[in-house]
Amino acid sequence: MFALVDCNNFYVSCERVFDLSLVNKPVAILSNNDGCVISRSGELKTLGIKMGVPYFQLKPLIKAHGIEIRSSNYELYGDLSKRVMTVLGDFSPDVEPYSIDEAFLSLSLPDGAGYFAYGQQIRRRIMKWVGIPVGVGIAPTRTLAKIANHIAKKLPEGVFVMPEDNTALLAQLPVEDVWGIGHRLADKLNRLGINTAGQLKLQDDAFIRRQFNVCVARTVIELNGTPALEMDSIGEPSKSISCSRSFGHPVIDLRDLTEAVAVYTSTAATKLRKENQKAAGANVYFQYYPEYGNQALEGGITGTTVIFDFPTGDTGTMLKKIAAVLPGIFIEGRRYKKAGVVFYGLESAAAVQQDIFSYAEASRRDKLYEAVDKINKQFGRKALFQLAEGVLRPWAMKRDHLSPNYTTDWTQIPEVK
Amino acid sequence: MSEGKSKTSTGNPPLMSSCVMAGFPSPAEQYVEQALDLNELLVKHPAGTFFVRTSGDSMLQAGIMSGDILVVDRALDAADGSIVIAAVDGEFTVKYLRKRDNELQLVAANPRYKPITFADGNELQLFGVVTAAIHQFVQQGK
Repeated sequence: MFALVDCNNFYVSCERVFDLSLVNKPVAILSNNDGCVISRSGELKTLGIKMGVPYFQLKPLIKAHGIEIRSSNYELYGDLSKRVMTVLGDFSPDVEPYSIDEAFLSLSLPDGAGYFAYGQQIRRRIMKWVGIPVGVGIAPTRTLAKIANHIAKKLPEGVFVMPEDNTALLAQLPVEDVWGIGHRLADKLNRLGINTAGQLKLQDDAFIRRQFNVCVARTVIELNGTPALEMDSIGEPSKSISCSRSFGHPVIDLRDLTEAVAVYTSTAATKLRKENQKAAGANVYFQYYPEYGNQALEGGITGTTVIFDFPTGDTGTMLKKIAAVLPGIFIEGRRYKKAGVVFYGLESAAAVQQDIFSYAEASRRDKLYEAVDKINKQFGRKALFQLAEGVLRPWAMKRDHLSPNYTTDWTQIPEVK
Repeated sequence: MSEGKSKTSTGNPPLMSSCVMAGFPSPAEQYVEQALDLNELLVKHPAGTFFVRTSGDSMLQAGIMSGDILVVDRALDAADGSIVIAAVDGEFTVKYLRKRDNELQLVAANPRYKPITFADGNELQLFGVVTAAIHQFVQQGK
Protein backbone atom coordinates (compact mmCIF):
# COMPACT_ATOMS: atom_id res chain seq x y z
CA MET A 1 0.00 0.00 0.00
CA PHE A 2 1.00 3.60 -0.53
CA ALA A 3 0.24 6.60 1.62
CA LEU A 4 0.39 10.12 0.28
CA VAL A 5 0.97 12.55 3.12
CA ASP A 6 0.37 16.14 2.09
CA CYS A 7 0.69 19.16 4.37
CA ASN A 8 -2.32 21.49 4.47
CA ASN A 9 -1.60 25.02 3.19
CA PHE A 10 2.00 24.25 4.06
CA TYR A 11 3.60 27.71 3.99
CA VAL A 12 0.74 29.25 5.98
CA SER A 13 0.84 26.36 8.45
CA CYS A 14 4.59 26.88 8.97
CA GLU A 15 4.08 30.55 9.79
CA ARG A 16 1.27 29.67 12.20
CA VAL A 17 3.43 27.33 14.26
CA PHE A 18 5.31 30.34 15.61
CA ASP A 19 3.14 33.37 14.95
CA LEU A 20 0.03 33.11 17.10
CA SER A 21 -1.44 36.26 15.60
CA LEU A 22 -2.08 34.38 12.34
CA VAL A 23 -4.43 31.80 13.82
CA ASN A 24 -8.00 31.98 12.46
CA LYS A 25 -7.10 34.85 10.13
CA PRO A 26 -6.95 35.05 6.35
CA VAL A 27 -3.25 34.64 5.55
CA ALA A 28 -1.51 34.96 2.18
CA ILE A 29 2.08 33.91 1.51
CA LEU A 30 3.73 35.64 -1.43
CA SER A 31 6.10 34.11 -3.98
CA ASN A 32 9.73 35.11 -4.57
CA ASN A 33 10.08 38.87 -4.76
CA ASP A 34 6.60 39.24 -3.25
CA GLY A 35 5.08 38.63 -6.67
CA CYS A 36 1.86 36.71 -6.14
CA VAL A 37 -0.08 34.53 -3.71
CA ILE A 38 1.36 31.00 -3.45
CA SER A 39 -0.17 29.71 -0.23
CA ARG A 40 -3.52 30.55 1.33
CA SER A 41 -5.13 29.87 4.67
CA GLY A 42 -8.64 28.43 4.64
CA GLU A 43 -10.00 31.84 5.64
CA LEU A 44 -8.37 33.44 2.59
CA LYS A 45 -9.81 30.77 0.30
CA THR A 46 -13.23 31.51 1.75
CA LEU A 47 -12.78 35.15 0.71
CA GLY A 48 -12.56 33.85 -2.85
CA ILE A 49 -8.91 34.78 -3.35
CA LYS A 50 -7.36 32.50 -5.91
CA MET A 51 -3.93 30.97 -6.08
CA GLY A 52 -1.51 33.08 -8.11
CA VAL A 53 -3.29 36.41 -7.63
CA PRO A 54 -0.68 39.19 -7.99
CA TYR A 55 0.12 41.02 -4.78
CA PHE A 56 -0.93 44.41 -6.17
CA GLN A 57 -4.44 43.03 -6.79
CA LEU A 58 -4.63 41.77 -3.22
CA LYS A 59 -3.42 45.03 -1.66
CA PRO A 60 -6.77 46.91 -1.78
CA LEU A 61 -8.47 44.01 0.08
CA ILE A 62 -5.98 43.71 2.92
CA LYS A 63 -7.47 46.30 5.25
CA ALA A 64 -11.12 45.47 4.71
CA HIS A 65 -10.64 41.76 5.43
CA GLY A 66 -7.77 41.91 7.91
CA ILE A 67 -5.59 39.84 5.60
CA GLU A 68 -2.13 38.98 6.89
CA ILE A 69 0.68 38.99 4.32
CA ARG A 70 3.99 37.15 4.57
CA SER A 71 6.91 36.81 2.19
CA SER A 72 8.14 33.28 1.48
CA ASN A 73 10.40 32.25 4.35
CA TYR A 74 12.17 29.34 2.68
CA GLU A 75 14.57 28.90 5.58
CA LEU A 76 11.57 28.16 7.81
CA TYR A 77 9.61 26.07 5.30
CA GLY A 78 12.67 24.05 4.37
CA ASP A 79 13.44 23.29 7.99
CA LEU A 80 9.90 22.27 8.89
CA SER A 81 9.62 20.20 5.71
CA LYS A 82 12.76 18.33 6.69
CA ARG A 83 11.25 17.67 10.12
CA VAL A 84 8.02 16.34 8.58
CA MET A 85 10.01 14.00 6.33
CA THR A 86 12.08 12.83 9.31
CA VAL A 87 8.94 11.97 11.26
CA LEU A 88 7.59 10.08 8.23
CA GLY A 89 10.81 8.06 8.27
CA ASP A 90 9.59 6.55 11.54
CA PHE A 91 6.47 5.19 9.83
CA SER A 92 7.93 3.63 6.72
CA PRO A 93 11.30 2.31 5.59
CA ASP A 94 10.60 3.88 2.22
CA VAL A 95 9.73 7.57 2.07
CA GLU A 96 9.72 9.44 -1.22
CA PRO A 97 9.64 13.19 -0.66
CA TYR A 98 7.71 14.37 -3.71
CA SER A 99 7.72 18.07 -3.01
CA ILE A 100 8.47 20.34 -0.09
CA ASP A 101 5.12 19.49 1.47
CA GLU A 102 4.21 15.98 0.33
CA ALA A 103 5.68 12.51 0.36
CA PHE A 104 4.72 8.99 -0.63
CA LEU A 105 5.27 6.20 1.89
CA SER A 106 5.25 2.51 1.09
CA LEU A 107 3.34 0.74 3.81
CA SER A 108 3.12 -2.94 4.46
CA LEU A 109 1.19 -3.52 7.63
CA PRO A 110 0.44 -7.05 8.76
CA ASP A 111 -2.84 -8.44 7.38
CA GLY A 112 -5.88 -7.09 9.11
CA ALA A 113 -3.99 -4.15 10.58
CA GLY A 114 -5.85 -0.89 10.37
CA TYR A 115 -4.51 1.44 7.71
CA PHE A 116 -6.95 4.11 8.82
CA ALA A 117 -5.62 4.01 12.37
CA TYR A 118 -2.06 4.09 11.02
CA GLY A 119 -2.88 7.15 8.93
CA GLN A 120 -4.28 8.84 11.99
CA GLN A 121 -1.12 8.05 13.92
CA ILE A 122 0.97 9.67 11.20
CA ARG A 123 -1.26 12.70 11.21
CA ARG A 124 -1.26 13.08 14.99
CA ARG A 125 2.49 12.64 15.26
CA ILE A 126 3.29 15.31 12.66
CA MET A 127 0.83 17.69 14.31
CA LYS A 128 2.27 17.09 17.74
CA TRP A 129 5.98 17.06 16.87
CA VAL A 130 6.12 19.70 14.15
CA GLY A 131 2.78 21.50 14.44
CA ILE A 132 1.79 21.01 10.81
CA PRO A 133 -1.66 19.65 9.84
CA VAL A 134 -1.56 17.01 7.10
CA GLY A 135 -3.95 14.91 5.06
CA VAL A 136 -3.24 11.21 4.54
CA GLY A 137 -4.55 9.21 1.59
CA ILE A 138 -3.93 5.45 1.54
CA ALA A 139 -4.43 3.14 -1.44
CA PRO A 140 -2.78 0.25 -3.31
CA THR A 141 -1.12 2.60 -5.87
CA ARG A 142 0.34 6.10 -5.87
CA THR A 143 -2.30 7.32 -8.33
CA LEU A 144 -5.11 6.07 -6.09
CA ALA A 145 -3.33 7.38 -2.97
CA LYS A 146 -3.29 10.81 -4.57
CA ILE A 147 -7.06 10.60 -5.10
CA ALA A 148 -7.54 9.30 -1.55
CA ASN A 149 -5.55 12.27 -0.30
CA HIS A 150 -7.84 14.76 -2.06
CA ILE A 151 -10.77 13.11 -0.31
CA ALA A 152 -8.95 12.99 3.04
CA LYS A 153 -8.36 16.73 2.98
CA LYS A 154 -12.09 17.38 2.86
CA LEU A 155 -12.79 15.12 5.83
CA PRO A 156 -12.54 16.29 9.43
CA GLU A 157 -10.53 13.17 10.30
CA GLY A 158 -7.99 14.00 7.58
CA VAL A 159 -7.39 10.35 6.64
CA PHE A 160 -8.97 8.34 3.86
CA VAL A 161 -8.29 4.75 2.90
CA MET A 162 -9.42 3.90 -0.64
CA PRO A 163 -12.08 1.18 -0.37
CA GLU A 164 -11.63 -1.98 -2.42
CA ASP A 165 -14.71 -1.14 -4.43
CA ASN A 166 -14.04 2.39 -5.60
CA THR A 167 -16.43 2.37 -8.59
CA ALA A 168 -18.79 5.02 -7.25
CA LEU A 169 -15.95 7.16 -6.08
CA LEU A 170 -14.05 7.18 -9.36
CA ALA A 171 -17.26 7.72 -11.31
CA GLN A 172 -17.56 11.13 -9.66
CA LEU A 173 -13.98 12.19 -10.29
CA PRO A 174 -13.35 14.26 -13.45
CA VAL A 175 -10.55 12.69 -15.47
CA GLU A 176 -8.44 15.87 -15.36
CA ASP A 177 -8.20 15.48 -11.57
CA VAL A 178 -6.34 12.20 -11.97
CA TRP A 179 -2.66 12.52 -11.16
CA GLY A 180 -0.58 12.84 -14.33
CA ILE A 181 -3.52 13.71 -16.59
CA GLY A 182 -2.98 17.30 -17.60
CA HIS A 183 -5.43 19.60 -19.36
CA ARG A 184 -4.32 18.61 -22.82
CA LEU A 185 -4.65 14.89 -22.15
CA ALA A 186 -7.99 15.48 -20.46
CA ASP A 187 -9.26 17.33 -23.55
CA LYS A 188 -8.33 14.45 -25.79
CA LEU A 189 -9.85 11.92 -23.38
CA ASN A 190 -13.04 13.96 -23.23
CA ARG A 191 -13.28 13.96 -27.01
CA LEU A 192 -13.11 10.18 -26.87
CA GLY A 193 -15.98 10.20 -24.38
CA ILE A 194 -13.79 9.47 -21.36
CA ASN A 195 -14.83 12.04 -18.78
CA THR A 196 -14.31 10.42 -15.41
CA ALA A 197 -11.61 8.48 -13.61
CA GLY A 198 -14.07 5.58 -13.51
CA GLN A 199 -14.32 5.53 -17.31
CA LEU A 200 -10.55 5.82 -17.73
CA LYS A 201 -10.10 2.84 -15.42
CA LEU A 202 -12.16 0.64 -17.75
CA GLN A 203 -10.19 1.43 -20.91
CA ASP A 204 -8.43 -1.27 -22.87
CA ASP A 205 -4.66 -1.16 -22.42
CA ALA A 206 -3.83 -1.54 -26.12
CA PHE A 207 -6.32 1.17 -27.05
CA ILE A 208 -4.75 3.62 -24.59
CA ARG A 209 -1.23 2.80 -25.76
CA ARG A 210 -2.32 3.40 -29.34
CA GLN A 211 -4.16 6.63 -28.65
CA PHE A 212 -1.86 8.06 -26.01
CA ASN A 213 1.38 6.76 -24.54
CA VAL A 214 2.79 4.39 -22.01
CA CYS A 215 2.39 6.94 -19.20
CA VAL A 216 -1.37 7.11 -19.61
CA ALA A 217 -1.45 3.32 -19.90
CA ARG A 218 0.38 3.11 -16.58
CA THR A 219 -2.14 5.47 -15.04
CA VAL A 220 -4.92 3.10 -16.14
CA ILE A 221 -3.09 0.17 -14.57
CA GLU A 222 -2.67 2.18 -11.37
CA LEU A 223 -6.36 3.09 -11.30
CA ASN A 224 -7.02 -0.65 -11.39
CA GLY A 225 -4.97 -1.13 -8.26
CA THR A 226 -1.64 -2.37 -9.62
CA PRO A 227 1.42 -0.20 -8.97
CA ALA A 228 2.99 0.79 -12.30
CA LEU A 229 4.63 4.15 -11.68
CA GLU A 230 8.15 4.86 -10.55
CA MET A 231 8.73 8.25 -9.03
CA ASP A 232 10.93 9.40 -11.88
CA SER A 233 8.52 8.47 -14.63
CA ILE A 234 6.00 11.02 -13.49
CA GLY A 235 6.21 13.99 -15.74
CA GLU A 236 3.65 16.23 -14.13
CA PRO A 237 4.66 19.85 -13.69
CA SER A 238 4.53 20.13 -9.94
CA LYS A 239 4.73 22.71 -7.22
CA SER A 240 8.16 21.37 -6.61
CA ILE A 241 10.60 19.43 -8.74
CA SER A 242 12.49 16.53 -7.29
CA CYS A 243 14.65 13.55 -8.04
CA SER A 244 15.24 10.70 -5.64
CA ARG A 245 16.41 7.16 -6.19
CA SER A 246 17.38 4.12 -4.21
CA PHE A 247 20.93 2.90 -4.62
CA GLY A 248 21.76 -0.46 -6.15
CA HIS A 249 23.55 -1.46 -2.95
CA PRO A 250 24.10 0.23 0.42
CA VAL A 251 26.38 3.25 0.12
CA ILE A 252 28.71 4.09 3.00
CA ASP A 253 31.02 6.68 1.50
CA LEU A 254 30.37 10.42 1.55
CA ARG A 255 32.07 10.81 -1.83
CA ASP A 256 29.64 8.35 -3.43
CA LEU A 257 26.70 10.05 -1.80
CA THR A 258 27.90 13.43 -3.00
CA GLU A 259 28.20 12.06 -6.49
CA ALA A 260 24.70 10.60 -6.37
CA VAL A 261 23.29 13.87 -5.08
CA ALA A 262 25.10 15.68 -7.91
CA VAL A 263 23.47 13.39 -10.47
CA TYR A 264 20.01 13.86 -8.95
CA THR A 265 20.50 17.61 -8.69
CA SER A 266 21.49 17.73 -12.31
CA THR A 267 18.49 15.59 -13.35
CA ALA A 268 16.08 17.72 -11.35
CA ALA A 269 17.70 20.94 -12.60
CA THR A 270 17.22 19.76 -16.17
CA LYS A 271 13.51 19.22 -15.42
CA LEU A 272 13.45 22.67 -13.88
CA ARG A 273 14.90 24.35 -16.96
CA LYS A 274 12.67 22.34 -19.24
CA GLU A 275 9.68 23.84 -17.47
CA ASN A 276 11.31 27.28 -17.64
CA GLN A 277 11.53 27.54 -13.90
CA LYS A 278 14.01 28.62 -11.31
CA ALA A 279 14.28 27.37 -7.73
CA ALA A 280 14.90 29.40 -4.58
CA GLY A 281 16.32 26.44 -2.70
CA ALA A 282 16.50 22.69 -2.24
CA ASN A 283 16.00 20.10 0.42
CA VAL A 284 18.46 17.23 0.28
CA TYR A 285 17.72 13.88 1.93
CA PHE A 286 19.61 10.74 2.79
CA GLN A 287 17.71 7.66 3.82
CA TYR A 288 19.63 5.01 5.74
CA TYR A 289 19.20 1.44 6.87
CA PRO A 290 18.76 0.37 10.46
CA GLU A 291 21.81 -1.27 12.03
CA TYR A 292 21.68 -4.37 14.15
CA GLY A 293 25.31 -4.51 15.29
CA ASN A 294 26.68 -4.07 18.81
CA GLN A 295 24.86 -0.79 18.86
CA ALA A 296 21.41 -1.13 17.36
CA LEU A 297 20.47 1.98 15.39
CA GLU A 298 17.15 2.79 13.86
CA GLY A 299 16.84 3.51 10.18
CA GLY A 300 15.53 6.84 9.11
CA ILE A 301 15.90 9.98 7.11
CA THR A 302 18.21 12.88 7.57
CA GLY A 303 18.10 16.03 5.55
CA THR A 304 19.21 19.57 5.16
CA THR A 305 17.94 22.75 3.61
CA VAL A 306 19.88 24.81 1.11
CA ILE A 307 18.89 28.34 0.13
CA PHE A 308 20.43 29.59 -3.10
CA ASP A 309 21.66 33.17 -3.16
CA PHE A 310 18.99 33.88 -5.76
CA PRO A 311 16.43 31.76 -7.62
CA THR A 312 18.44 29.78 -10.13
CA GLY A 313 18.28 27.01 -12.69
CA ASP A 314 22.05 26.73 -12.96
CA THR A 315 23.23 23.26 -11.96
CA GLY A 316 26.74 24.47 -11.17
CA THR A 317 25.56 27.19 -8.81
CA MET A 318 23.29 24.71 -7.07
CA LEU A 319 25.91 22.03 -6.71
CA LYS A 320 28.40 24.38 -5.13
CA LYS A 321 25.87 25.15 -2.39
CA ILE A 322 24.57 21.62 -2.01
CA ALA A 323 27.92 19.82 -1.92
CA ALA A 324 29.06 22.12 0.87
CA VAL A 325 26.32 21.03 3.27
CA LEU A 326 26.39 17.26 2.72
CA PRO A 327 29.20 16.54 5.21
CA GLY A 328 26.94 18.07 7.88
CA ILE A 329 24.27 15.42 7.46
CA PHE A 330 26.53 12.49 6.71
CA ILE A 331 27.21 10.13 9.58
CA GLU A 332 30.11 7.76 9.30
CA GLY A 333 29.15 4.12 9.74
CA ARG A 334 25.64 4.44 8.40
CA ARG A 335 24.61 2.46 5.35
CA TYR A 336 22.63 4.67 3.04
CA LYS A 337 19.88 3.31 0.82
CA LYS A 338 18.62 6.36 -0.98
CA ALA A 339 19.19 10.04 -1.65
CA GLY A 340 16.92 12.73 -2.95
CA VAL A 341 16.84 16.37 -3.96
CA VAL A 342 13.65 18.43 -3.84
CA PHE A 343 13.62 21.95 -5.23
CA TYR A 344 11.21 24.50 -3.89
CA GLY A 345 10.34 28.13 -4.24
CA LEU A 346 9.78 27.66 -7.95
CA GLU A 347 9.07 30.57 -10.21
CA SER A 348 8.95 31.13 -13.89
CA ALA A 349 12.37 31.96 -15.29
CA ALA A 350 10.79 34.79 -17.26
CA ALA A 351 9.70 36.42 -14.02
CA VAL A 352 13.24 36.77 -12.70
CA GLN A 353 14.29 40.28 -13.49
CA GLN A 354 18.02 39.83 -14.00
CA ASP A 355 17.67 37.06 -16.53
CA ILE A 356 20.48 38.16 -18.79
CA PHE A 357 22.91 37.42 -16.00
CA SER A 358 21.61 34.20 -14.57
CA TYR A 359 20.88 32.62 -17.94
CA ALA A 360 24.37 33.30 -19.12
CA GLU A 361 26.57 30.28 -19.39
CA ALA A 362 30.29 30.78 -19.31
CA SER A 363 30.62 31.75 -22.94
CA ARG A 364 27.66 34.06 -22.82
CA ARG A 365 29.04 35.67 -19.70
CA ASP A 366 32.15 36.57 -21.64
CA LYS A 367 30.02 38.30 -24.24
CA LEU A 368 28.14 40.04 -21.48
CA TYR A 369 31.29 41.43 -20.00
CA GLU A 370 32.33 42.67 -23.41
CA ALA A 371 29.11 44.63 -23.41
CA VAL A 372 29.83 45.89 -19.91
CA ASP A 373 33.18 47.16 -21.07
CA LYS A 374 31.54 48.95 -23.97
CA ILE A 375 29.10 50.65 -21.64
CA ASN A 376 31.98 51.62 -19.43
CA LYS A 377 33.80 53.19 -22.34
CA GLN A 378 30.74 55.18 -23.26
CA PHE A 379 29.57 56.30 -19.83
CA GLY A 380 32.75 56.42 -17.82
CA ARG A 381 34.35 54.42 -15.08
CA LYS A 382 31.67 54.97 -12.51
CA ALA A 383 29.09 53.31 -14.71
CA LEU A 384 31.08 50.10 -14.79
CA PHE A 385 31.47 50.12 -11.04
CA GLN A 386 27.76 50.59 -10.47
CA LEU A 387 26.86 47.90 -12.90
CA ALA A 388 29.27 45.50 -11.28
CA GLU A 389 27.73 46.17 -7.89
CA GLY A 390 24.31 45.88 -9.39
CA VAL A 391 24.95 42.42 -10.74
CA LEU A 392 24.29 41.04 -7.29
CA ARG A 393 21.74 43.42 -5.89
CA PRO A 394 18.70 42.64 -8.03
CA TRP A 395 19.27 38.96 -7.41
CA ALA A 396 18.60 39.31 -3.73
CA MET A 397 14.97 38.44 -3.28
CA LYS A 398 12.56 41.10 -2.25
CA ARG A 399 10.90 39.87 0.92
CA ASP A 400 9.32 42.84 2.62
CA HIS A 401 6.99 40.79 4.81
CA LEU A 402 9.45 38.16 5.93
CA SER A 403 8.88 36.41 9.26
CA PRO A 404 11.87 35.55 11.49
CA ASN A 405 13.94 32.43 10.83
CA TYR A 406 12.56 30.87 13.99
CA THR A 407 14.34 27.55 13.56
CA THR A 408 17.54 28.30 11.67
CA ASP A 409 19.08 31.39 13.26
CA TRP A 410 19.95 31.67 16.97
CA THR A 411 19.26 35.40 16.93
CA GLN A 412 15.74 34.88 15.60
CA ILE A 413 14.37 32.05 17.75
CA PRO A 414 10.94 32.73 19.26
CA GLU A 415 10.69 34.65 22.52
CA VAL A 416 8.71 33.31 25.50
CA LYS A 417 7.69 35.22 28.59
CA MET B 1 23.46 39.91 -1.80
CA SER B 2 21.95 37.84 0.92
CA GLU B 3 24.24 35.26 2.36
CA GLY B 4 22.96 31.79 1.47
CA LYS B 5 22.21 29.68 4.46
CA SER B 6 22.21 26.04 5.07
CA LYS B 7 21.42 24.23 8.23
CA THR B 8 21.85 20.63 9.10
CA SER B 9 19.30 18.65 10.99
CA THR B 10 21.43 17.87 13.96
CA GLY B 11 24.24 20.33 13.55
CA ASN B 12 26.66 17.64 14.60
CA PRO B 13 30.22 18.82 14.71
CA PRO B 14 32.44 16.90 12.33
CA LEU B 15 33.93 13.66 13.45
CA MET B 16 37.28 14.02 15.10
CA SER B 17 40.27 13.22 13.04
CA SER B 18 43.88 13.93 13.54
CA CYS B 19 46.38 14.88 10.94
CA VAL B 20 49.98 14.14 11.80
CA MET B 21 52.32 16.20 9.72
CA ALA B 22 55.55 14.39 10.52
CA GLY B 23 57.19 12.13 13.06
CA PHE B 24 55.41 9.43 14.98
CA PRO B 25 51.68 8.96 14.91
CA SER B 26 49.91 10.15 18.01
CA PRO B 27 49.59 7.25 20.47
CA ALA B 28 46.07 8.42 21.26
CA GLU B 29 44.93 8.43 17.66
CA GLN B 30 43.36 5.02 17.62
CA TYR B 31 41.41 5.79 20.78
CA VAL B 32 39.86 8.97 19.49
CA GLU B 33 36.42 8.21 18.20
CA GLN B 34 33.95 11.04 18.29
CA ALA B 35 33.68 14.38 20.04
CA LEU B 36 31.01 14.66 22.69
CA ASP B 37 27.95 16.05 21.07
CA LEU B 38 25.70 18.44 22.97
CA ASN B 39 22.84 17.56 20.64
CA GLU B 40 23.08 13.98 21.81
CA LEU B 41 22.77 15.19 25.39
CA LEU B 42 20.04 17.78 24.96
CA VAL B 43 18.01 16.75 21.92
CA LYS B 44 16.26 13.39 22.04
CA HIS B 45 13.84 14.07 19.18
CA PRO B 46 15.54 16.31 16.60
CA ALA B 47 12.46 16.51 14.37
CA GLY B 48 10.31 17.70 17.26
CA THR B 49 12.76 19.88 19.16
CA PHE B 50 12.78 23.67 18.96
CA PHE B 51 14.68 26.39 20.77
CA VAL B 52 13.18 29.52 22.29
CA ARG B 53 14.63 32.42 24.26
CA THR B 54 13.14 33.54 27.57
CA SER B 55 12.36 37.08 28.51
CA GLY B 56 11.31 37.94 32.04
CA ASP B 57 11.63 36.46 35.52
CA SER B 58 8.47 34.39 35.92
CA MET B 59 10.41 31.11 36.18
CA LEU B 60 13.31 32.42 38.21
CA GLN B 61 12.93 29.90 41.06
CA ALA B 62 12.92 27.06 38.57
CA GLY B 63 16.40 28.18 37.51
CA ILE B 64 15.28 29.84 34.30
CA MET B 65 16.64 33.33 33.89
CA SER B 66 15.80 36.01 31.41
CA GLY B 67 17.76 35.46 28.20
CA ASP B 68 18.21 31.71 28.69
CA ILE B 69 17.67 29.44 25.72
CA LEU B 70 15.17 26.68 26.37
CA VAL B 71 15.15 23.30 24.68
CA VAL B 72 11.54 22.47 23.85
CA ASP B 73 10.59 18.91 22.98
CA ARG B 74 7.20 18.68 21.30
CA ALA B 75 7.38 14.90 21.15
CA LEU B 76 6.95 14.59 24.92
CA ASP B 77 3.59 14.52 26.66
CA ALA B 78 3.20 17.20 29.29
CA ALA B 79 2.58 15.83 32.77
CA ASP B 80 1.68 17.44 36.07
CA GLY B 81 4.78 19.39 37.06
CA SER B 82 6.27 19.65 33.55
CA ILE B 83 7.70 22.98 32.53
CA VAL B 84 5.85 23.83 29.33
CA ILE B 85 5.62 26.44 26.63
CA ALA B 86 2.00 27.47 26.20
CA ALA B 87 0.11 30.00 24.12
CA VAL B 88 -1.72 32.49 26.32
CA ASP B 89 -3.43 35.59 24.93
CA GLY B 90 -1.51 35.37 21.68
CA GLU B 91 1.90 35.04 23.33
CA PHE B 92 4.16 32.16 24.20
CA THR B 93 4.82 31.73 27.87
CA VAL B 94 6.91 29.32 29.94
CA LYS B 95 5.32 27.98 33.14
CA TYR B 96 4.84 24.90 35.26
CA LEU B 97 1.85 22.81 34.21
CA ARG B 98 -0.37 21.69 37.08
CA LYS B 99 -3.06 19.11 36.44
CA ARG B 100 -5.94 19.03 38.90
CA ASP B 101 -9.12 16.95 38.70
CA ASN B 102 -10.76 18.81 35.87
CA GLU B 103 -8.66 21.88 35.41
CA LEU B 104 -5.24 22.82 34.19
CA GLN B 105 -3.07 25.53 35.63
CA LEU B 106 -0.04 27.39 34.42
CA VAL B 107 2.01 28.30 37.47
CA ALA B 108 5.00 30.61 37.58
CA ALA B 109 8.10 29.88 39.63
CA ASN B 110 7.91 33.33 41.10
CA PRO B 111 5.35 34.40 43.76
CA ARG B 112 4.82 37.72 42.00
CA TYR B 113 2.89 35.97 39.20
CA LYS B 114 -0.60 34.54 39.68
CA PRO B 115 -1.47 31.11 38.32
CA ILE B 116 -3.56 31.01 35.15
CA THR B 117 -6.39 28.50 35.36
CA PHE B 118 -8.02 26.70 32.45
CA ALA B 119 -11.36 25.20 33.42
CA ASP B 120 -11.69 23.38 30.13
CA GLY B 121 -8.55 21.61 28.97
CA ASN B 122 -9.24 22.53 25.37
CA GLU B 123 -8.47 26.17 25.92
CA LEU B 124 -4.89 25.54 26.86
CA GLN B 125 -2.65 25.34 23.82
CA LEU B 126 0.67 23.71 24.55
CA PHE B 127 3.65 24.24 22.28
CA GLY B 128 5.91 21.73 23.96
CA VAL B 129 7.73 20.51 27.05
CA VAL B 130 10.88 22.29 28.22
CA THR B 131 13.65 19.76 28.81
CA ALA B 132 16.61 22.05 29.48
CA ALA B 133 17.66 25.64 29.96
CA ILE B 134 20.90 26.86 28.46
CA HIS B 135 22.42 29.68 30.46
CA GLN B 136 25.50 31.13 28.86
CA PHE B 137 28.01 33.10 30.91
CA VAL B 138 30.08 34.02 27.91
CA GLN B 139 28.39 34.44 24.55
CA GLN B 140 30.13 32.17 22.08
CA GLY B 141 29.54 33.73 18.72
CA LYS B 142 26.03 34.93 18.26
